[in-house]
Amino acid sequence: MNAAQSLPMLQNALTVGAILFSLGLVGILARRNLIVMFLAAEMMLQGISVSLVAWSRYHGDWGGQVLVIFVLTVAACEAAVALVFVLQAFARTGRLDAAAWQSLREANLVRTVDHELPSIDTLPPRYPTLAPAGVLPPTDENEPLQREHV
Amino acid sequence: MQEFSPAMLLVLVPLLPLVGAVLTVLLGGRLASRAHLPAIAGIAAAAMVAIVLLVATARDVNPSHGAHAEPVRPVEMIATLWNWASFDQAYAPPADSPATDPRLTPQNPQAAPQALGFTIPVALRLDPLTATMLVIITCVGLLVAIYSIGYMHDDPGYPRFFALVAMFVFSMSMLVAASNFLLVYVFWEAVGACSYLLIGFWFAKPQAARAAKKAFLVNRVGDFGLAIAVFLLWMSYGTLDFHDTISPQGVIMPGILGQTRLVDAAGYVLPDAAGFAGGTIGTAICLLLLLAACGKSAQLPLHVWLPDAMEGPTPASALIHAATMVTAGIYLIVRSAPLFAACPGALVMVSIVGATTALVAALIGTVQNDLKRVLAYSTISQLGYMFASLGTGTMLGFTAAIFHLLTHACFKALLFLGAGSVMHGMGGVIDMRRFGGLRRVMPITATTFLVGSLALAGVAPFAGFFSKDEILAALHAKAWPIAHGDHHAALSTATGTLHAASFTPHGLETGSGLGLDSLNRPEIWQLLFWMSLVTAGLTAFYTFRAVFMTFTGPTRIPEAAGHHAHESPPAMTIPLVILAVASTVVGWLLFSTNWLAHFLSATPSLTATAVAATATPHAFHMDLAIKGTLAAAIGVVVAAIGHLGQRSDGPQLERFLGPLQALFAHKFFFDQIYTAIIVRPIEAFAMVAAFIDRFIIDGAVDAIGRIPATLGGIVRRGQSGLLQRYALAGVMGVLAIVVLLAWQLRG
Amino acid sequence: MTPLSFNPLSSGSLLSGAVVATAVSLWLLLPNGRERGVARWLGTMLGLAALAAFIAAGRRLGGLGEEAVFLVVSVVAVISAAATIVSRSPVYAAIWFALSLAGVAGVLLVLGAQFLGVATIVVYAGAILVMFLFVLMLAQPAGLAPYDRVSNEPFLSALAGAVLLGVLSLSIGRLSAAPPSCCSLPSRATLTLPAATGAPTQPAQPAPVADSLEHNHVARLGAELFGRHLIAVEAAGLLLLVALVGAIAVVSRGDAEGTPSQASLHTADRRPSR
Repeated sequence: MNAAQSLPMLQNALTVGAILFSLGLVGILARRNLIVMFLAAEMMLQGISVSLVAWSRYHGDWGGQVLVIFVLTVAACEAAVALVFVLQAFARTGRLDAAAWQSLREANLVRTVDHELPSIDTLPPRYPTLAPAGVLPPTDENEPLQREHV
Repeated sequence: MQEFSPAMLLVLVPLLPLVGAVLTVLLGGRLASRAHLPAIAGIAAAAMVAIVLLVATARDVNPSHGAHAEPVRPVEMIATLWNWASFDQAYAPPADSPATDPRLTPQNPQAAPQALGFTIPVALRLDPLTATMLVIITCVGLLVAIYSIGYMHDDPGYPRFFALVAMFVFSMSMLVAASNFLLVYVFWEAVGACSYLLIGFWFAKPQAARAAKKAFLVNRVGDFGLAIAVFLLWMSYGTLDFHDTISPQGVIMPGILGQTRLVDAAGYVLPDAAGFAGGTIGTAICLLLLLAACGKSAQLPLHVWLPDAMEGPTPASALIHAATMVTAGIYLIVRSAPLFAACPGALVMVSIVGATTALVAALIGTVQNDLKRVLAYSTISQLGYMFASLGTGTMLGFTAAIFHLLTHACFKALLFLGAGSVMHGMGGVIDMRRFGGLRRVMPITATTFLVGSLALAGVAPFAGFFSKDEILAALHAKAWPIAHGDHHAALSTATGTLHAASFTPHGLETGSGLGLDSLNRPEIWQLLFWMSLVTAGLTAFYTFRAVFMTFTGPTRIPEAAGHHAHESPPAMTIPLVILAVASTVVGWLLFSTNWLAHFLSATPSLTATAVAATATPHAFHMDLAIKGTLAAAIGVVVAAIGHLGQRSDGPQLERFLGPLQALFAHKFFFDQIYTAIIVRPIEAFAMVAAFIDRFIIDGAVDAIGRIPATLGGIVRRGQSGLLQRYALAGVMGVLAIVVLLAWQLRG
Repeated sequence: MTPLSFNPLSSGSLLSGAVVATAVSLWLLLPNGRERGVARWLGTMLGLAALAAFIAAGRRLGGLGEEAVFLVVSVVAVISAAATIVSRSPVYAAIWFALSLAGVAGVLLVLGAQFLGVATIVVYAGAILVMFLFVLMLAQPAGLAPYDRVSNEPFLSALAGAVLLGVLSLSIGRLSAAPPSCCSLPSRATLTLPAATGAPTQPAQPAPVADSLEHNHVARLGAELFGRHLIAVEAAGLLLLVALVGAIAVVSRGDAEGTPSQASLHTADRRPSR
């Protein structure tokens, strides 16, 4: 790696980091599921990590990688504590919805609720079953055919 | 202790009632039933000082007896208290303006016109006219105040009444003592304000509040005339002072009525009346002063407030609307006598207004059933007499007017206080048809009222006879000049023009006198004379109609009187007696000695050549006395036929008048005309203005006030409580900053 | 960098177009109650087009192999990241996130951070992601919840992301190798102000510092870590302890307050709209 190429590499890596960061930002702002919001926050941290390592590589300085280690550490702590709080929130409202908490709104405003969404009839997919060779399998009406759709 | 100087005494006359008023305001609540003490003390002290000043001034007047006696020299004393305002170089007079020193004729051109300063001093003056008026004001005020102790005894506004009376005496004293037109204007308004407060004394009564408002607004029209007159006076004369002033550089600034315009260096009257504005400007000034006088003295067409002003307490009516305030107009015209003398057209207008008012008011008074209204129209009529006399422009006319003012103050105050006594006894009822024969119930009131009525009707030897006789003499002299030996005037008549006196004023002749000079013909004066004579008869008629209806016939007491129907307490009857004595004696005393006319002729305004040259020897005109007494006798007899004795509640005059009765009873429809022409348009305009104020101006202000709330409401909807929206807003803010930074760094 | 002129193939316009396409595609792809419509197909196509534009605007690295490796791993990372945030099912989102982590680890490896690449997989994918999945297992209702099928202000969020991405990529494009005028570190790239400095860009000198691509990479990283940043390491350890204790404390208090009722789980999802 000579210096003449390291700038393009830097720019490409920084671009990747920027894209990851921006996507993470959009995810935090847009998605309402608390878990997906945290996933997007972790993605922002990934973008940061990529940028730091790119700079570190360009300058030849270990400081960037060290900082990424600390970012990793803090992200772990943050995830642990945050998920505890998510579970507490779920315990109070029964939902993982960021829009479930609206008590800080103005006194004369009403609670924002979602429009009625068209129901999605998701029939559980019927997976084909093969009968064993030569023998009709026993039919049991009560047994569920497959697991519930996750 | 040094002797009181006349200046200090002069200041005391308005000052003591003012102190009394202030003390009454401050301590009235605590003094309760003795709240009259500060005011009465102040007015009484002022009355004593006024009498002292009268004596002192009288001593300064040089006696003038016989045909070859020296002319009367003007007597005045000026006391300047302080300078209210002063402006340097405020006025640059044109070369031929009356503002220049009149002693400097065009042949003496060393008076190059330069810019003069303008000062407004708070200056009081003392001359015979002022001294006379001060004595009238303070003495009548004192008697009215003593009367009010009994009359207003149970009124909850007892202290307020005395404070207002004392304040009024202060204002009126300052008005007649002021030596500056602007001060006169200030106290003109002040007496108007006191009148408003006294008419509306029982302000909770809607008619009283309306009457007070009406009086004030009608007076306002007159005040407007006075204001414009003051402006024109300043433009013409460069100063508003009556007296001459000397600037620090030693330059004499002639006052409008100052001695430099009236006398020469030796102290003798100037041979002619140079230096007074005549022609269009002068006539305009005089007519505006006449407008002001009409407003204050209730002459046509501004007389409509005086009958309504009877809603006020009777002592207030006696003081203000009989004796003093309404005489302010007379005072103003007498004070401005030289100005009027330079404009003959204005003078004849004064007489026309006066005589017409006298006749119309007398006609209206004949059908009134309210005793106070009768007296109110009688006041208007008598003031019209005084104006008619003033308009003759002769020395006799002016002095007769003041003489009649003095006697009228005595007997009209007496009549009003007597009516108050009747009202007090009848429990507030004043409609003459509801009571009768009160001479048995209230003998003192009846006797004094009769004396006053005789004086009003002009029966010898009571006061009114002499003063009315003088007025008729003045009018007769103008109407038939040859009969009075005025040959100059007769010759001028032959040539078609007649001037106010036997000389030609050299005032500024800028155009004709608004075309009014053509009215100055003997025919007009003859008409005015006959109108006055008829008015004398009508006066006697309605006066004695009131007397007979009230005090003669069977005794009837209305139910409202209850146990009140007895003679009034001494506090009320003693002033009645005093005034009755004055009404009897004053006229004969002053006429026989000719003291008042001689005393008044020393007033600077009346020493002007234009006026002084018209002086005629004092004489008693027997033919006029007979005509006047005959008219009065006819009036009394007709009244007796209608209402004496058993007929006191008999059929009224309406049967004989027919359609005229409606005209008289509706006061010649003046009020209705004014309502239609003036009041309704103003009310409509006021409603438009109120609409604009409430919906457009207030609406705009309220709309501006609602802007923050509306903006807040818009912004408030963003506070939804949804965290992601808050985060979005924060992110967008940060992005804005980032974009701004990136934009700046791109170079 | 050359001033922006309207050359459709210049880096500037490609980047701008890519950013705009990214925004539009995200807006179309984010869940907003629509199911399987044209929007999702269109959004996907636009997203791929944006990706292609980014690639076209990227810098050439010289070696084809190196460039191909970097391209593959970065494309995997980016597509997976996009799929994470637009997936309606949170479990799918977690799986896509795992794939994105793999891509990021690959990028880190290409950049020479061997330890970090592995650490990313171990810590993130192995620990944090599994924790997320556990929580989903505990708390996610059966089927798609309504709050998974709608987004909060998709247009404005996509716009915010686009603005940020545009600013960042344009700033990255302005990087040049001129020596800095201010800093003391021997750095070789700064964000230049051509109007201020006026100095022409010049190729930088190779750093005398040892290359990080050596066989004792981890040892050197460890020496750096425990040498210069010892205090920070100890603080990080303390932070981990605190987080551990705190999480347990909060959980134990939360257990005392009871568990949610099953009724609230189901009724809370189907509230009628106003």
